Amino acid sequence: MRFAPWLAIAACTATASERLHVVIPAGPGGGLDGTARAVGRALVELDLVERVSFENVSGGGGGRAMAYFLDNADRFETPLLVNSTPLLVRSLQGLFPYSFRDLTPVAGVVADYGVLAVRADDPRTTWEAVAAELRRDPRAFAVGGGSARGSLDHIVLAMALRLVEVDPRAVRYLPYDGGGKAMLALLGGEVDVLSSGLGETMAFIEAGEVRVLAVTAPERVGAIAEAPTFKELGYPLVFANWRGLFGPPGMPAETLAGHLHRLANMKESAHWQATLERRGWASLNAEGASFVAHLEAQERQLKEVMIDIGFVRPDE
Amino acid sequence: MGEGIATGLATAFQPANLAWVVGGCLAGTFIGMMPGLGPITAIALMIPVSYSLDPAAGLIMMAGVYYGAVFGGSTSSILINAPGVASTVATSFDGYPMARRGQAGRALALAAYASFAGGTVGAVALLLFAPTLALLATEFQSPEYTLTLVFALSSIAAFAERGQVLRSLAAALVGLMLGTVGTDQSAGVQRFTFGRLDLADGLSFVLVAMATFALAEAFRMVVAGGSEPPRSGLPHARLHPGDGKAVVPTVARSSGLGFLVGVLPGAGATLASFFAYEVQKRFRRHDEADAARGIAAPEAANNAACTGSFVPLLTLGIPGSGTTAVLLGVMLSYGVQPGPRLLEVEPAMFWGVIVSMYIGNLVLLGLNLPLIPYLSRIIYLRRRVLVPCVIAFSLLGVYLTSLNSFDVYLMLAFALAGLALRLAGFPLAPLLLGFILSGMLEENLRRTVMLADGSLGLLLTRPVSLVLLVLCVAIWAAPLLRMARERRRKQDHYAA
Repeated sequence: MRFAPWLAIAACTATASERLHVVIPAGPGGGLDGTARAVGRALVELDLVERVSFENVSGGGGGRAMAYFLDNADRFETPLLVNSTPLLVRSLQGLFPYSFRDLTPVAGVVADYGVLAVRADDPRTTWEAVAAELRRDPRAFAVGGGSARGSLDHIVLAMALRLVEVDPRAVRYLPYDGGGKAMLALLGGEVDVLSSGLGETMAFIEAGEVRVLAVTAPERVGAIAEAPTFKELGYPLVFANWRGLFGPPGMPAETLAGHLHRLANMKESAHWQATLERRGWASLNAEGASFVAHLEAQERQLKEVMIDIGFVRPDE
Repeated sequence: MGEGIATGLATAFQPANLAWVVGGCLAGTFIGMMPGLGPITAIALMIPVSYSLDPAAGLIMMAGVYYGAVFGGSTSSILINAPGVASTVATSFDGYPMARRGQAGRALALAAYASFAGGTVGAVALLLFAPTLALLATEFQSPEYTLTLVFALSSIAAFAERGQVLRSLAAALVGLMLGTVGTDQSAGVQRFTFGRLDLADGLSFVLVAMATFALAEAFRMVVAGGSEPPRSGLPHARLHPGDGKAVVPTVARSSGLGFLVGVLPGAGATLASFFAYEVQKRFRRHDEADAARGIAAPEAANNAACTGSFVPLLTLGIPGSGTTAVLLGVMLSYGVQPGPRLLEVEPAMFWGVIVSMYIGNLVLLGLNLPLIPYLSRIIYLRRRVLVPCVIAFSLLGVYLTSLNSFDVYLMLAFALAGLALRLAGFPLAPLLLGFILSGMLEENLRRTVMLADGSLGLLLTRPVSLVLLVLCVAIWAAPLLRMARERRRKQDHYAA
């Protein structure tokens, strides 16, 4: 409750007359875009801001949006940048010269968890069975994912493999252009295991086409209550792909407090609960300092595994 | 299913939904007609509107925007050689020359009728086969995709004009190389980006297409001159006598082919239009209606394919293209999760969207035909008016899709290079085709090799891929055999 005093001040200063401008580092239609627009819509409908405008700046794996945001932040009344876990991954890989430290982290809003899944008719029904087979022969079958080598789906797989003493570099990871195509490869039998996000997999789990071996959530997720977490299987693996909001560097404390106040109100509202329900998103409660701590912890977690799979060089 | 179609009819014929079909089609056509703006931009622009609608109406409108934009996309291809979307590149091959001959009205009318037929065949096929066809998408795996793409590229060699085979292949190779610029999809490594963030996502289609087609052609008009198209009074949207009969088999064949290719997630409509065009060339009769068939084939195919791409989207929840990915985003924002259970959970919407596609096609035909005489006047603009307009629209189109001025300079450089290649007699269509297919080919080939532990064996051991491989070999062998036969005939001739 370190922020309680700020919240009190914010309650007086934050007015519904503010105009937010949200920069989205991706084209329209994707997860980041959906999150930004859902938050904006909730804030406007709940009368927490006057209006929200959006700007999609895609390109450079999010780097162009970052450059644009840093250069143009003072042009807008209240600028915000929406971002997600790949921001940390790309900073670590050195794909762009920015990190979350160039921004003022405001809050995490939603989380998606990683899942490892097999076809519903696969005789290997548990993560233990799959792990045992990979321990015998790491090349026994291929694992598919919806993103390039060295990005999220590959990282989640590597984290899981390390915990069962399988060398992540020995296992074949096949990257597909998006979780949907990776799912098709699983259903068609090109790969035997799929590493993907829970959101993208949900429809197929509900339809009984795939079985979730384990999910990286801290506790069982309501919508797929039958799927175990890695934690309860005895592996210390919790990993959330967060989506959250950032302000420009050196954002005044009262502006930050105003944002936190608004977001807190939004998260409590029935409108936002309904949105989460409808989109199948899990809420992420990490605001201000706790969001920064969350980012730092995740950066350490990512760095360790990325060194292991050869995408980040260890510090000398 | 009969009950499903009845629900669909009821949903689609609600007055409000009918209005949204018309509105969506209108908006889509006009946005799609702008050079450089394709269905993705059209749908993205309409997202804010869709938020205020209920899910069924919103989706019906968005689907209207989508095929409206595909419908309108052929206009700039035909009139100013500026394909705004990859799937209308093939339309420009015969469409632009026909327009320059003063038959712009005929070309546009052919495109409109063929699009209508393709879209309608697609909608009916979707209605009948959607749930079963989803299986096709899972049967096609990386080895099959690899060979389909190799087949598409091979057809360049087989169908190139006489004496152009090597130049076509060289151009295709340059295209393939251009496609490797950017972040490597399987290892996340940056290639040929010179450390610039602007290049990290590779070159965009709009940039390369506008540079090598529209701009290079505009520059060529400036450099090489050429005749003004003949003026023949007010252009009309009439077909030539005999056109109708001539294109019917082509349209039927192309629609079926287009729909099937469209079901495959990937470059559905683009591959479909190229395949249809190439197949059409195979059936060429060397008569006056060949050009008409050359326009009808890709247009029927790309519209059927865009309907086909709804199969994996609606039944599997898997977007096959950038456009359907944006549509998926729209559906998710309504809380509609397309996928295996959509039919059970939202039958009214599922069938409503499909039925509205049929209505949408009628609307589009009714909308487009009266516009053709006015649109085709563009072609009668004097060169000194037309060329600056084309240049301005191309630059604007590229700038609007990325809002990055670096892209504008890059496009100018590419256009000059394209002009040089054209003047040296290199065809640019294979270059563009190579560029479009490059990424997919590399990605699928790499997976195929990784699956087989570094060998190409998987291309041989799977039944579907083996058939495709045989087709590839046949397409390469055909011109060689023909050459050998001609040589033997000549020798026989001298011997006798």
